[in-house]
Amino acid sequence: MKVQEVVIAVSVAAMALLLAYAVEIGGLGPIAPHRIRDLAVAYLINTYNPWNITLSSLSLEAVTAIVWDYRGIDTFFETSVLFVAIVGVTSLLRGFSEKTGLGGAGLSEIVKTSTRILAPLILVAGIAIALHGHLTPGGGFQGGSFIAVLFILLSVAFSLDYAVKLGVSSRKLLALRSSGLIGILATSLALLVAGLLLGVNSYIFQNMAREGAPLSMPSWLLDRPTGGTLLWFNTFEALAVAAGISLAFLVLSLREEEMKEALGQGEWYE
Amino acid sequence: MEILPLLIAAVAAVLSVISTYLAVRANDMLNAVIFSALQSTAYAIMFYVFMAPDIVLVYVPVSVGILPAVTILLIKKTERYEG
Repeated sequence: MKVQEVVIAVSVAAMALLLAYAVEIGGLGPIAPHRIRDLAVAYLINTYNPWNITLSSLSLEAVTAIVWDYRGIDTFFETSVLFVAIVGVTSLLRGFSEKTGLGGAGLSEIVKTSTRILAPLILVAGIAIALHGHLTPGGGFQGGSFIAVLFILLSVAFSLDYAVKLGVSSRKLLALRSSGLIGILATSLALLVAGLLLGVNSYIFQNMAREGAPLSMPSWLLDRPTGGTLLWFNTFEALAVAAGISLAFLVLSLREEEMKEALGQGEWYE
Repeated sequence: MEILPLLIAAVAAVLSVISTYLAVRANDMLNAVIFSALQSTAYAIMFYVFMAPDIVLVYVPVSVGILPAVTILLIKKTERYEG
């Protein structure tokens, strides 16, 4: 095991140096290509193009614009795959109930204190990444997974009992997740419904006005661009992902005492 | 200055290969999880250097936070040592 320890030491040192350098170059390193393909040029010109709104999504970030606007339906189905997986987990283990007082007081005081310091930072970073998805790198899934990691960290450091006592329950997480999904659905249908009511053409997943479909989502909030639907998609996606992954972790980490009812229930169907 | 990011990507790539090998060879599954998180961090550095910050932001919480958490739960409910 001597070699392994040396490898671990060297790699941790290398990692610290690399992280320091990677943070120092600030993401946009000198590897920028000099020649860009035509498709990329088209996206770069049109993502934020207030002079030709019929091709634009009025988002300052090209990746989010492609993910939620130009290729919105792809992303919708990717999101569905994750949520079908979570539905699978919860329905496989249905019938459980959270209980407190099963022992397990969490980790040591050092871990608890450092978690207390870190928790608000992770929460704020997650929310900022989700809400600024149309301005800076990031988006709903990224911000949502940050918040899910926060839940995992809290339930490991402070024990699951603590989370349950705080009022976290699978029912509430399920409700949050469902409201996130309903929000995504409502956002994607908003302009279609508005178009039907006003009697003009409009599309599913429409963001800005297109040729023959003059409606567009509000793209400014006070003095900030919102990218139309992108802000809403990112917000609801963050909510749904955070609640969904937390729910999956909660269900998977249930103790034997809590699972007894769920395991017994299977015999009814045999 | 052109060579330094490429060098860093190369070091991260070598690091990821080594930690993948160690993760596959490990008898203690907890060690395997830690090595695989190390490999994910090396990948995250490569994504960052190659200017894909969106991927980094999703890769870090999923591969260093959620995946090890779920895998450690799995190990806790099954067996820790292999072979």
